[in-house]
Amino acid sequence: MRLVRDVLDKELFDREEEPMGRVDGLIMHVGKSSQPRITHIAIGGSTLWDRVHPFFGRLSRRMSRWWGPKRDDAVRIPWSRVITVGRDIKLDVEAKKTGAIDWELWIAHHIIERIPGSGDKEAGDGN
Amino acid sequence: MKKILQISLGIVTSVGGFLEIGSVTTAMQAGASFGYQLLWTLLLGTICLIFLVEMSGRLAAVSKHTIVEATRERFGFPFFFIVLVGMALVSFLVLVAELGGIGLSLQILTGIGFPWWAIPVSFAVWLMMWKGTFGLIENGASMLGLVTISFVVAALRLHPDWSSTAHGLLPTFPIDKKANYWFMAVSIIGASISPYLMYFYSSGAIEDDWDETYIPINRVIAGLGMSFGGFLSMAVLIVAALVFHPRGIDVQKFEQASLLMTTALPKWGFTLFALSMLFACFGAALEISLAIAYFFAQGFGWNWSEDLTPSKDARFCLTYTLIIVLGAIPLLLGIDPIKVTVISMALTAVALPLAIVPFLFLMNDPIYLGKHRNGWLSNTVVAIVILISFVVAIIAIPLEIIGG
Amino acid sequence: MRPKRPLVIAIVLLVACKPPTPAQQMDSIQSWLATAEMVGQAWLRHTTPDKYSRQTLELSRETLAQISSDLLASLPPATDSAKLDAVLLRSRVRLDQMARLIESKNSPDFRRQLDSLAADKKIVEQISDGMPKQ
Repeated sequence: MRLVRDVLDKELFDREEEPMGRVDGLIMHVGKSSQPRITHIAIGGSTLWDRVHPFFGRLSRRMSRWWGPKRDDAVRIPWSRVITVGRDIKLDVEAKKTGAIDWELWIAHHIIERIPGSGDKEAGDGN
Repeated sequence: MKKILQISLGIVTSVGGFLEIGSVTTAMQAGASFGYQLLWTLLLGTICLIFLVEMSGRLAAVSKHTIVEATRERFGFPFFFIVLVGMALVSFLVLVAELGGIGLSLQILTGIGFPWWAIPVSFAVWLMMWKGTFGLIENGASMLGLVTISFVVAALRLHPDWSSTAHGLLPTFPIDKKANYWFMAVSIIGASISPYLMYFYSSGAIEDDWDETYIPINRVIAGLGMSFGGFLSMAVLIVAALVFHPRGIDVQKFEQASLLMTTALPKWGFTLFALSMLFACFGAALEISLAIAYFFAQGFGWNWSEDLTPSKDARFCLTYTLIIVLGAIPLLLGIDPIKVTVISMALTAVALPLAIVPFLFLMNDPIYLGKHRNGWLSNTVVAIVILISFVVAIIAIPLEIIGG
Repeated sequence: MRPKRPLVIAIVLLVACKPPTPAQQMDSIQSWLATAEMVGQAWLRHTTPDKYSRQTLELSRETLAQISSDLLASLPPATDSAKLDAVLLRSRVRLDQMARLIESKNSPDFRRQLDSLAADKKIVEQISDGMPKQ
């Protein structure tokens, strides 16, 4: 498995097949005597924006302090929770409890659900 | 039987996606200024688009990835971010143009100026996304777009000289107004190959659960649908060449464009033009807003589907809501949508390599497509058209601006 | 691909600021006179609605006024600018009257004005043909 090609930027799903973002960063443990190894997957936060440019990272940290669900650190999922790595990556966690979809829930709760008709779209006809 | 239905719906959809304010305006201006001379650029743009749309569907059917997902995964977030910024800007300009096209159609029908329509029109487009399902948008909006067939009827009623139209299908070099000629040529390429169409199409293939059995259907839809769309644009150019060119009318305003079919179809021409533009721009506005929202949602791994209720994919819905609100602002300020159209089509041509070059790499990647990788023909055709139009755009746009 | 935003701004500014040449302005004048003529013919044949026809005639008049004030300042010396000024002023008045005649649905008078507008358009064409080409 190649980390950058097969893991980084892949989509993540929890055990209920709920999407929970993408692999925005990987956290590595470099021990004095042991081999370097991946310990965590990082989701969201300034991790992602730091990859573009530290400027965007700083901007993201500042923005999240000012607005939103007040989470500026990336969510870390231990590597041991990874079930499969394929087209997507499946994790043995529950998306809601990890904090990875805090933004989704925050926007749904604070904005979308306040607009009339947000919860009763005609069911898709399955095509 | 089901497959035949799917194919015909797909073709209708692609027509709806092809014909919008950009392709109609550029084709009309080309016909008005240069007669049949620029027909070849429509042919070239359409051929290139057929290849690109076929590729978008094939990528989705084989890899179960949309173009956007595959771009981020294959090239990483920093590169993806550049593509995102470029495509979002260009598509946003096109969205403003489409919303303006709806407003202008209503203006000529009712006499009430387009800035007044900015809010009702944006609200209607938003409501359609908020309450409607993907199937409704894909099939309903584009079914209405079939009224654009009136352009072909108008062209036939004017009895064009077929040998000189055929002549226009071969590239020629202009004698005078050279800068304007090449500017028009790249604008037509930009209007034909709209990247949002590819993003919308590949997301649609995922929404409709395509798999490898859809490869032949995809080929038929892309081929017939886009040819049909290109054919309609050619009809617009031909009518403009017969109506505006001899009178020396240079189409700068929508009010002038509205006269397109009044000689060919005296009784219904005016209304048919207004309705054609109304429906075509409405369908395109929906497709572009969704394409931009898909782009963000897929790139960041948010929940996305036009079939979910809004509270289930909040960030996706917030994105298209914000985009529609922002898109209404330039129109409220009274900025002429035709000017926005002309600028956005030329900019699309400049931005095309940003969208298409990484896409071509994906289409040749065995990890994504296995044995369904691109052949040499599609690679060559697309690469050549995109690179040439990029170079011509870089040269022609400054020349057009200084009025050379 | 970084300099995209400056490029957009530059293009918007330049399109807005570019000064057209006298020859291009003459082309626009003829284009708008032809537009007005076409709308007039269409209205007489009942192919375009009253409101649209009136608004488009008004738009033609406004655009002509705008172009001609720019143009008359920058005409090449060989042109008969007094004649051009007179004919353009006359057509603008005519367009204004035509817009009113639509309101009162007076087709016979409208037709007469339209014929005179066509004659004025011919004069503008002649002046334009006599201008030095660039």
